Amino acid sequence: MSTPGAPAYTCPYCRMGSEGASHTCPYCGAPVDVSLRVTHSGWLEQPPIRDMARIRFGHSTCQISGAYVPVAEMDLRGEDWVYFSHHSLLHTDTKVSLANLPLKGGWKRMRAGLPLMMMWAKGPGHIAFSADAPGETLAVPLAPGRAIDVVEHSFLVATGNVEYQWENANVWFTTRDGDETEWHFPVGQTMDRFTAAGSNGLLLLHAPGNTFIRDLRPDQRILVQPGALVWKDQSVAMFLHFEYPGGAYWYSSARWQAKTTWLALQGPGRVAVKSVYERPEHTGYVYQHSGATQMSWNSGPSQGFGSPWGGQVARGFIAGGLGGILGSAISSMFDDN
Amino acid sequence: MDRVECQWCRAQNEPGRTSCLTCGAPLDVKNLVSDSGWLEAPRLRDMSEFRFANSTCQIEGEIVPVAELALAAGDSVFFEHHVMLWKEPNVPVSALSTGGGLKRMLGGMPHIVTVAHGPGRVALSRDATGEVVVLPLHPSMEIDVREHAFLAATHTLTYSFVRLGIANVLHGGGGMYMDRFVTQSWPGLLLLHGYGNVFQKTLQPGEKIQVEPGGFLYKDSSVTMNPVKLNVKTGLLGRSMYLAEMTGPGRVGIQSMYVHHGSD
Repeated sequence: MSTPGAPAYTCPYCRMGSEGASHTCPYCGAPVDVSLRVTHSGWLEQPPIRDMARIRFGHSTCQISGAYVPVAEMDLRGEDWVYFSHHSLLHTDTKVSLANLPLKGGWKRMRAGLPLMMMWAKGPGHIAFSADAPGETLAVPLAPGRAIDVVEHSFLVATGNVEYQWENANVWFTTRDGDETEWHFPVGQTMDRFTAAGSNGLLLLHAPGNTFIRDLRPDQRILVQPGALVWKDQSVAMFLHFEYPGGAYWYSSARWQAKTTWLALQGPGRVAVKSVYERPEHTGYVYQHSGATQMSWNSGPSQGFGSPWGGQVARGFIAGGLGGILGSAISSMFDDN
Repeated sequence: MDRVECQWCRAQNEPGRTSCLTCGAPLDVKNLVSDSGWLEAPRLRDMSEFRFANSTCQIEGEIVPVAELALAAGDSVFFEHHVMLWKEPNVPVSALSTGGGLKRMLGGMPHIVTVAHGPGRVALSRDATGEVVVLPLHPSMEIDVREHAFLAATHTLTYSFVRLGIANVLHGGGGMYMDRFVTQSWPGLLLLHGYGNVFQKTLQPGEKIQVEPGGFLYKDSSVTMNPVKLNVKTGLLGRSMYLAEMTGPGRVGIQSMYVHHGSD
């Protein structure tokens, strides 16, 4: 028996409550009438939004169409408005008002290859958005006060009541090429943070490939390819993890190239990853880095190599001290807000 | 018994058929139309087959579909040579000059297209995720297609190109040319490759819609296309944003995956 006033259906994907009367969740478009697909390790597969499914927000609706590169078509009504990067605009009615929405930190955004300005659109009328790669449109409804962090270039469109700010990802390391220092930002220089203010907001993202969601318990840790992260709850911490394989190899660049650079995500909170991501680059010898952990599957320095931070390689070695300090310094150097 | 009309190409089909004999569109599924009137191009089922002249075309695969043409003697199709995936050795091919050689070459467009003659089989595909759009054309029809989007056309179609106006070239993002396909006294078949998903809207006379120029795929030649400058800037240097304004009457086709023009 359901509690009076409690929603009849809670969407397992977006966790918003609704009557459950339609075939899709009115807040995120996920199908209601399919069984959950959960891997043995706990990843929940985000089902694609069905062709022509509608999502409600404010007085307006958003309809998702297409299967390979879905289109999000908004029917804007009343005072509802949305903002987006001009790259994602596909078509618009001539009566929809369009204007610029300037952003802070233009110089830094330009260097990071991010859009310098957003556009906003106000109805009444239809306006549609699409991304530039095959994948899925992810609808993330945000309850008031909820904030999520999104990796660069995933954002498609958000409703006007969702606050947008961007922050240093603070996940970086440096390598050397001759006298040149190369900087690496495995999840991008910045993360977009979206927070719903006052009322429910809607955020649409695009993720190439398929998307999987997982809940992390407090202090539970998972390693993912840095390029695979799509979004995470603000409460989820992230840092680098360098993993060195075991086995006998003599001192050479193979020692460094064999290493895997992971993104460690630590709960509590939700994370979402995508199945299509950039191939990780060879990282070479790491000189400096943001906060990181390290794991070597060999048993210490007798194997002929040491830690790039001057210490010995040890299982589960926390090497965030110097990196963290440098990270903060470099982050503030970049911050031109 | 009543014949079944294909909702995509309007051809009449025998009762009981599950796909259109003229364009391959499924006949047993409902049209998908968005709230604003965009009709989703029919998703051709794997291995669906349709006829043109005395030949057949079979669509294979769904993510990057292949069009396999079984050409009858006397039938031929033309295409850009690099879309040819495989062919039977005994299928003769010839070259067809499009005219405008140097200008086309400078515009990055093929100035010679390849013609495959029946009998025999040839298979064609483009290089990205998308859909094959099948457009059967009745006599005396004209259709304009964005550069590098056409997969194949039957020999009954006249192939030419339209040089876009200077405003379209500078601000439209659609390149210098549009391919134009015209039928004379005989019907023809045009196969396009749309990147991502493809949607079509039929505009009434005077009705307008603004589309991202990179998303434009095809239009009836009766639809006019003009760049319109929006009152927004897309970069620090004050770069303006343009959309392609389409004015009816006629059909407009768009694709959902595109490289945005003029990105900063």
